[in-house]
Amino acid sequence: MTDQIAIHTDGLTKHYGDLQALVDLDLDVLAGEVFGYLGPNGAGKTTTIRLLMDELRPTGGSASILGMDVRQQAVKLRKSIGYVPGDLAMYPNLTGRDTLTYFANLRGGVDWSYVDELAERLDADLTKKVGDLSSGNRQKVGIIQAFMNRPTVLMMDEPSSGLDPLIQREFQQMMREVVANGGSIFLSSHTLSEVQRVADRVGIIRHGHLIALESVATLRAKGLRRVELEFAEPASASEFENVPGVRDLVVRNHHIAMSYEGSMGTLLGIATRNHTIVDIATQEADLEEIFLTYYHDEETL
Amino acid sequence: MLANVFVKTIRDRWMAMFIGAISIGLLLLAGMAAYRSIDLSIYQDMPAAFTALMNIPRTADLGALAYGAIYASYGALTLAALAIPMGSGAIAGEERDGTMGLLLANPVGRTSVLLQKVGALVIVTAFGTGVLWALGVLSPVALGAQVGDVHVGALMLHMFVNALFYGSLALAISTWTGNRGLGSGVAAGIMVVSFFAAGLFPLVSGWENVAKGFPWYYYSSNQPQVSGIDWGHLAVLFGCIVVFVVVAVAGVGRRDLRSQSVGVTILDRLRANPRTAKLVERLAGSTRVSGIWLKTASEHQGLLIITGYVMFLLMGIVMGPLYKLISGPMKQFGASLPPTLLAIFGGGNLSTPEGFYQVETFGMMAPLAVMVATVTIGAQALAGEEEHRTMGLLLSAPVSRARVVLEKTVTMTLYGLAVGAFIFAGVWLGSVIGRLGMSAANIGATALLATLLGLLLGAVALALGAVTGRVRVAVYGAVGIALVGHVLNAFLPLNESTKGFTKWTPFAYYLNSDPLMNGMDWWHGFVLLALTVLLVGLAVVWFQRRDLRQRG
Repeated sequence: MTDQIAIHTDGLTKHYGDLQALVDLDLDVLAGEVFGYLGPNGAGKTTTIRLLMDELRPTGGSASILGMDVRQQAVKLRKSIGYVPGDLAMYPNLTGRDTLTYFANLRGGVDWSYVDELAERLDADLTKKVGDLSSGNRQKVGIIQAFMNRPTVLMMDEPSSGLDPLIQREFQQMMREVVANGGSIFLSSHTLSEVQRVADRVGIIRHGHLIALESVATLRAKGLRRVELEFAEPASASEFENVPGVRDLVVRNHHIAMSYEGSMGTLLGIATRNHTIVDIATQEADLEEIFLTYYHDEETL
Repeated sequence: MLANVFVKTIRDRWMAMFIGAISIGLLLLAGMAAYRSIDLSIYQDMPAAFTALMNIPRTADLGALAYGAIYASYGALTLAALAIPMGSGAIAGEERDGTMGLLLANPVGRTSVLLQKVGALVIVTAFGTGVLWALGVLSPVALGAQVGDVHVGALMLHMFVNALFYGSLALAISTWTGNRGLGSGVAAGIMVVSFFAAGLFPLVSGWENVAKGFPWYYYSSNQPQVSGIDWGHLAVLFGCIVVFVVVAVAGVGRRDLRSQSVGVTILDRLRANPRTAKLVERLAGSTRVSGIWLKTASEHQGLLIITGYVMFLLMGIVMGPLYKLISGPMKQFGASLPPTLLAIFGGGNLSTPEGFYQVETFGMMAPLAVMVATVTIGAQALAGEEEHRTMGLLLSAPVSRARVVLEKTVTMTLYGLAVGAFIFAGVWLGSVIGRLGMSAANIGATALLATLLGLLLGAVALALGAVTGRVRVAVYGAVGIALVGHVLNAFLPLNESTKGFTKWTPFAYYLNSDPLMNGMDWWHGFVLLALTVLLVGLAVVWFQRRDLRQRG
């Protein structure tokens, strides 16, 4: 990551009548960075991407990518951009290869050996018509299309939907390679785990407002988890309810469940003081829980 | 509102039917007003052949003439043309949209879905017929005109059953094959061919009975507006409808459902065949995706094949020898026609082959054929890409919105010119084969003006698509302007006080200079071209100013 700014928005705003889809977005995405853009459905993620891609015209504010205004220099700019739209649709009557040829002709500068390499890595079948492909396989063609001209900036709206876990891993590796070469990725998602795996920073958007901008390291440090413990003997709520970082505690005989933010060592130390642990289940809190926990005040926006 | 498939289908389809029926009803009103100012006694002297072709009864009075010429032909074609997409889209349309699987995930069987769709087809067609009926009864009242003894109800029943025939034919083919386009194409083709066959074969001595082989004959031959209901003919049509529905029921049960069906083009078939694959790859290769205009052109090749075939062969070559066969009565009769009446049929002089071609080929079919190509491409150009959600991806490439509009315009222009060339070639060959001695240059001029008119209407669709991003608005807008323009151009000149307004309709710049007789009117050509360029320019400006639509 460098200090060079790849994407910059200044008070970017979009209203649809009374609906405020995006309000005063001030954001910088740096070169060599994967920026995760998180938010529940309808929060304004897609609106932001469509504004940056000049599909929508802002009600207010401005945006630039690689120093070029997304509106005034849109055509020149797009030579350096790869794009996977949300709810990807392509031409059903064209094969994957024809689809890629079409976009390659429009973009120029596509190295076909690289396309073949991408297809191999994603295990994509380019001989079938797009309309005959499953949604996951169609998504692969869309991803190759975005990567094939080695863009400096990648804009991707929920790109891994429909991909199986193995392919998702390969795709994440492809993203890492782009940023390693100085590129930038704007990755919209509602899946925290995916963003956590590849992103350097995340922005959280809700009801059109950017309510948090954090590095992934900070988010991880908060480490909110769901924890369930099974003891050999009955437990009581009083043992855990005053432990710092414990929320939503539920005790049922030998079994306790909670949301916990803090060091697991501390929690396990307290748990084993009076009990023998039979089983532990822990998982990362989902996005909704993080919203409710950390951004409760902003939620009323 | 969405209680079941039946109600939802009615909700989706009634508006198109309503607009179509209202348009034809207004056409009747305009026609009736015009006919009222004409001395109808001339119809008594018309040869039987001509009156049969034009759907004019022998004992022509105002009512029979207006209902016969407008409702029985335009109205019946419109009603059937609106029933066809309902039939073809019933099952195959849901498959194409990928919604059939979801629909059948509910406790409702395939046959039940199909029968509910058939029910909706019947109800919506009946609704359209009812609107036509109401307007048919109200028009003479509104004008205070005496229409004589006309069986409007009988005509309506015939039109209703006739429309159901083509709708259920499209249903049977589409449901059996899962191919919506095939059902629409075949049903519409049979409708157009049988419309002309039922009208023209009875004019050719010795061939009268051939007309009985065409379904349109069982709708129109006994002129229900004059003779009342012909139960025998209706039974033939109704029997066919039952067969078609049975075929559809059998068809939907027998095969795998398609998920978001993908069409197979001729090129695909040739590519799939090992004997032709190499040749096709060499000739076509990836050419069809080498740019926006070429790709657009490759998507609409079916349009060119159908319109080209109809115009070149049926409306072009065939008409020449046909005129030769019936030129006797035509010539005899042509001299007796007053100029006011000629304006209604496109202003041609029926005693000449040029006049015959003007009425039969150039009056309505030629601009219609060019329009089918240009309006389809114009409407799909921007609005189609937006509704299919591909415009965002296309514009993520370094191409400006203006370039997209202009490249699509290039394709539309080439298709318009190609259909124009088919029209020219067909009519010229028809003239040569029939030894009619028509001027090739004048045929070329008329075909060029038809092309320019079609391009103008295509540009209307393009511009409406650029403003709204909606295919339906683009198509309905262009077709509406064409219909109103055609009607105004036919009726405004009939009255001295309205004659001056004719120049405001685009059709005035097509045939009003009588190009088949007089050659190219460059001013008229320029007006059509200039308006087209203006609309394309506006489309560029409007498309650049707005947000892309997100959903279809």
